[in-house]
Amino acid sequence: MMGRGKLIAVMGDEDTVTGFLLGGIGELNKNCHPNFLVMEKDTTIHEIEDTFQQFLNRDDIGIILINEYIAEMVRQALDAHQHSIPTVVEIPSKKHPYDATKDSILRRARGMFTAEDLR
Amino acid sequence: MEDLVCPLAVLPTAGGDREGGGSRSDCVSMAALDLRAELDSLLLQLLGDLEELEGKRAVLNARVEEGWLSLAKARYAMGTKSVGPLQYASHMEPQVCLQASEAQEGLQKFEVVRSGVHAPEEVGPREAALRRRKGPTKTPEPQSSEAPRDPLNWFGILVPHSLRQAQASFRDGLHLAADIASLQNRIDWGRSQLRGLQEKLKQLEPGAA
Repeated sequence: MMGRGKLIAVMGDEDTVTGFLLGGIGELNKNCHPNFLVMEKDTTIHEIEDTFQQFLNRDDIGIILINEYIAEMVRQALDAHQHSIPTVVEIPSKKHPYDATKDSILRRARGMFTAEDLR
Repeated sequence: MEDLVCPLAVLPTAGGDREGGGSRSDCVSMAALDLRAELDSLLLQLLGDLEELEGKRAVLNARVEEGWLSLAKARYAMGTKSVGPLQYASHMEPQVCLQASEAQEGLQKFEVVRSGVHAPEEVGPREAALRRRKGPTKTPEPQSSEAPRDPLNWFGILVPHSLRQAQASFRDGLHLAADIASLQNRIDWGRSQLRGLQEKLKQLEPGAA
C-alpha cells in the first residue's frame, strides 16, 4: 500500500489489548499475521518470546506496546534490541502497576553517568 | 597572551591568524572547553527529556486506567463475556497508523495519523447543467479504498456510552504512546551522542580522565 504508515503492535492482557484494538490499531487478515497478542492463562513463555521476536523483525511495525510484566519475561531480548524501530513502550497492566525501576529505557538512563563523568 | 607561547611549540597552529601564534596546548584547551560546553548542553537536554518522559508516562498510565474502568463499566452493562477477544472481528484493518520521520541521523520521531481516509462524498450535481431526473443515473464508484470499520461495531450496533469512553481513552493513549516512543528515541540518541563526546574529551584530556 503506497504511503501507508507503520503499525502499532500490542502485547498484553485482555483488557489492554481490547482497549488498544478499540483505538483502531488492529490488523488481521488471511495474509498477514496479527499485530497483537492477548496474554491468556495458557499462553506460554515460548509463545510470548516468539511473538515478540516476530514483531521486532517485522518492518511494518513502528511501536510495540507491551505490559511491563510481560516485558519482564522477554527482558533479555528487549535489552538486546538497540534499533530505534520498532520502539518498545512498556505500559502497566491491571494487576501490575507501572514500576519505573524495571523500565529498560530508564535503567539505561540511570547507568548513563558515573561519579567520574560528573567531576 | 604572548607569554604563554611555549618556545618548543614551533608547530603551526590550525588558526594561523591568532595573535602571538598561540600554543598547541591552548588549542587543545579551547577544544576541550568547547566540548565541555557541548556536553553540558547535551546533558541538560537529556535531563529535560527524562523529565518530560516521566510526565507523559504518568498521563499515559492515567488514560489507560480510565480505559480499563470504562471497559469494566461496559462489561457490567453488556455482560461479562460481551467485551473481549470473542468479539474481535476476523478481518481487521487499522484505523490509525504511525508516520515515522527522521529528524536527524538516527533520530526517529513518531506521529499517529488516521489511515484509510477517503475523500468526502460529493453531494449535488457534478456539472453546472441541470440534472436529468429521469433515466438511470450511474453512481461513480468511490476511487479511494473503503474506510476501515470502526471496532466499536464488533460489539453491536448500540453500544453503551462507557465503551465509547473507553475507545476515547485508548485513542488518547495511542497519541501519548507515540510521543513517549519519540522521547525514548531522543534519549537513546542523546546517550550515544554523550558517549561520543565523552570519548573525544578523554582523547583531548587523557590526564583529566
